[in-house]
Amino acid sequence: MSAQKKKAFQIEAFKHRVVVDPKYAEKTWKILEHAIHEIYNHNASGLSFEELYRNAYNMVLHKFGEKLYSGLVTTMTSHLKEISSSIEAAQGGLFLDELNRKWAEHNKAMQMIRDILMYMDRTFIPNTHKTPVHELGLNLWRDVVIHSSAIQTRLQAILLENVRRERSGEVIDRGLMRSITKMLMDLGPSVYQDDFEKHFLEVSADFYRLESQDFIESCDCGEYLKKAERRLNEEIERVSHYLDAKSEVKITNVVEKEMIENHMHRLVQMENSGLVNMIVDEKNQDLGRMYCLFRRVPNGLVLVRDVMTSYIRDTGKQLVTDPERLKDPVDFVQHLLDLKDKYDKIITSAFSNDKTFQNALNSSFEYFMNLNSRSPEFISLFVDDKLRKGLRGVTEEDVELVLDKVMMLFRYLQEKDVFEKYYKQHLAKRLLSGKTVSEDAERSLIVKLKTECGYQFTSKLEGMFTDMKTSQDTMQGFNARHGTDIADGPMLSVQVLTTGSWPTQPITTCNLPAEIRGICEKFRNYYLGTHTGRRLSWQTNMGTADLKATFGKGQKHELNVSTYQMCVLMLFNNADRLSYNEIEQATEIPASDLKRCLQSLACVKGKNVLRKEPMSKDIADTDTFLFNDKFTSKFFKVKIGTVAAQRESEPENQETRQRVEEDRKPQIEAAIVRIMKARRVLDHNNIVAEVTKQLQSRFLPNPVVIKKRIESLIEREFLERDKSDRKLYRYLA
Amino acid sequence: MHKLGRGHRDKVQQFMTITGASEKIALQALKASDWHLEGAFDFFYSQPHIKSYTDTTRLEELYNRYKDPYTDMILVDGITLLCNDLQVDPQDIVMLVVSWHMKASTMCEYSKEEFFIGLQALGIDSLEKFRERIPFMRSELKDEQKFHEIYNFAFGWAKEKGQKSLALDTAIGMWQLLFAEKQWPLVDHWCQFLQARHNKAISRDTWSQLLEFARTIDPALSNYDAEGAWPYLIDEFVEYLNENGIIQNGQFSDRSQK
Repeated sequence: MSAQKKKAFQIEAFKHRVVVDPKYAEKTWKILEHAIHEIYNHNASGLSFEELYRNAYNMVLHKFGEKLYSGLVTTMTSHLKEISSSIEAAQGGLFLDELNRKWAEHNKAMQMIRDILMYMDRTFIPNTHKTPVHELGLNLWRDVVIHSSAIQTRLQAILLENVRRERSGEVIDRGLMRSITKMLMDLGPSVYQDDFEKHFLEVSADFYRLESQDFIESCDCGEYLKKAERRLNEEIERVSHYLDAKSEVKITNVVEKEMIENHMHRLVQMENSGLVNMIVDEKNQDLGRMYCLFRRVPNGLVLVRDVMTSYIRDTGKQLVTDPERLKDPVDFVQHLLDLKDKYDKIITSAFSNDKTFQNALNSSFEYFMNLNSRSPEFISLFVDDKLRKGLRGVTEEDVELVLDKVMMLFRYLQEKDVFEKYYKQHLAKRLLSGKTVSEDAERSLIVKLKTECGYQFTSKLEGMFTDMKTSQDTMQGFNARHGTDIADGPMLSVQVLTTGSWPTQPITTCNLPAEIRGICEKFRNYYLGTHTGRRLSWQTNMGTADLKATFGKGQKHELNVSTYQMCVLMLFNNADRLSYNEIEQATEIPASDLKRCLQSLACVKGKNVLRKEPMSKDIADTDTFLFNDKFTSKFFKVKIGTVAAQRESEPENQETRQRVEEDRKPQIEAAIVRIMKARRVLDHNNIVAEVTKQLQSRFLPNPVVIKKRIESLIEREFLERDKSDRKLYRYLA
Repeated sequence: MHKLGRGHRDKVQQFMTITGASEKIALQALKASDWHLEGAFDFFYSQPHIKSYTDTTRLEELYNRYKDPYTDMILVDGITLLCNDLQVDPQDIVMLVVSWHMKASTMCEYSKEEFFIGLQALGIDSLEKFRERIPFMRSELKDEQKFHEIYNFAFGWAKEKGQKSLALDTAIGMWQLLFAEKQWPLVDHWCQFLQARHNKAISRDTWSQLLEFARTIDPALSNYDAEGAWPYLIDEFVEYLNENGIIQNGQFSDRSQK
């Protein structure tokens, strides 16, 4: 045992080098070289795979891999040069054919060669970091054949020419194209891109630029879009047939840019065929096509949406400011509904219900509807018309549809409190004259309003319905109690209205005819007997009466008149002629109402139960009135009372508006106090913003009005200004 | 005096003898200086010198000269006489300053208490002293802070008793008086505007905010901010100026129409 360190177990190599025949390498190589030649010359069948493999194996084993490899390179290169020449020699259309054929052969040859040289591929090549055989074959093909100066440009040109021909409608050999592009892809992604794709895209861009220029001069918008769509689909199809899938998005971008993006504005604005015309003519298919195409380019849809929005706003604005249109409110609102339907249909069918378009439509409607301050009144009149007669005989579902559409318009209103005022007035008239088509429809609308605006909005309206019902019960009770003693006299029907729920009316009374006074008193006593602590006043300006009249030749008619008219007419039971002043004195009806009343009794054709002297149109204080013996009418029942809701005259409108403004003041103040109570200290701009936010579901408060209310609250010591910062307000508890 | 300890009482006596101040003032000064005589003197002399001794008997005499025969107050006639004695116009703004010192509650009358408070504060107990004080009172108007107080005081003083707001005519009169001192170029336009467009009483808020407006906003309105939470009357005034071309393109053209 040596005292030294233990040595690891060693195997020593042969002491003598195995001497190999120096010519051995050369000889072996020659064999292989020959084999390669044969392979390229299609004489491979005579070769022995086993022998060749062994030879290659031995070369590598005896450290002649380098020689083998470089020999391979040289041999292949020279063969490929020959091949290259033969391809170059091919004429015209045969060029691609030849190239394709030679490529296939080369691949087969390469396979065989690699099989033979597999040992080298697996050992020598990885160790020396050289290019593996297969890859080497590809690279050499690429460098020697494809990138040879003669072939490179020619190949590119022919490929692009084929595409061009196909675009002009010619049929080309797609299979061949496919093989060639596959070859390029096999040679490496940059080969396909640099040798073909890059130029393909450039040339395509030029092509489409020219074509689109040509189209845009000669086609209208719809036709152009059809053509663009067609080209786009063609390109997609082309890619699927003989190009790399990754090219699809690149070529479609080119088409989109050249054909659509570059001409976007011109297309949309095109006279007689652009976007606006399509909308007007409801060309939903064309619009759909435009939507799909423009969706592909940046800001394409933004453009479409903007143009559509300004169109809707402009036409809407025209509609609401057109005096002709505004003469008939019901027609006006119907027109609005029809417009909304039309646009909805376009958005659904052509713009695939795109939410941004929906929003644009909504904001446009909201914009122009509020340009006309009478929109709330008109919508209420529309509803009034529907509930009076328009919805007669309509199915329940259709009624709901109409009401839902009305609600939709209602939502656009900024001044919902104005609507509420008018709606209350119109509803009151409907209820009191018993002229509503369907109580279910009325209630349904109230429910919808409640859902939209909260119960405060509708609590008074519901109160009105309750009053009607209660009055029925009251009348039942009255008739039951007094049934017998009033059987001979005029028949009375009373609606008792709770003051807060119904629209405020000035208290007017007049002298009721003697025949009526008795029963009215009876009712009053009955009611006050059963309800303590209440006060009743007859609203003589809101009632109606049915009178039985007998005329000169004995014709009997039943006249349906207002209470005022009844008072006037009953006077003629005791006199044949009366002057204006006498009538005024006897009835004590306020002058303006009396004049209107007399006008409807004496000056309207077909309803002139009174005659007037002189026969002028207007009522003068000096006129005299006579009972019209000669009155005739086709109908037994003649309706003379004017109770239907009409669009207000200008002065009435002003008055209502003033009342609305007055109503808003306390609401604004309440909002300010609420906010300040919670925040304690707040600056001016924030108060205005908060108040606006709180009230916006009812109306849009005017910042100047808010400021005045703040000052009023300062005056009444609810608020004070901060001593150091004058823009800050403080809540005073 | 009876509640004070011996040492304190002595100090009060000493103080009063040396400075000639009243007992009340002496107590004030000594308390403020924690009963050190030296400190009390410092305190006393650093105060405006007007806190000098006033003889209550002489004040009483003065008061009786002007007091109304039937009521225990000085009314219009008395005030007119006072102004004559002082050789000052009754409309002179210095009378406003006097009223301010008196903390008078209403114009054209002074209660006995107000008269006494005011004159004592000014250190006046004779007509000569009163006349001497007048330049000083005029100078007080030049002091920014004091003018502010006097201006705001004027609102309560000039309005009718029991009213919340100031009648327009009175307000205009007051403004013309006050802004003659302060030199606000827009005062005439403001008064014209009110007469043409407003015709209603002036609220306290508007009154006090107007001073702010006159002080901080330049006559060409270059730094006027419409979002500045000014009372709406002032906003309307700005509109009026713009409409009538008085302010054009940020330039104030003083075409004052009388």
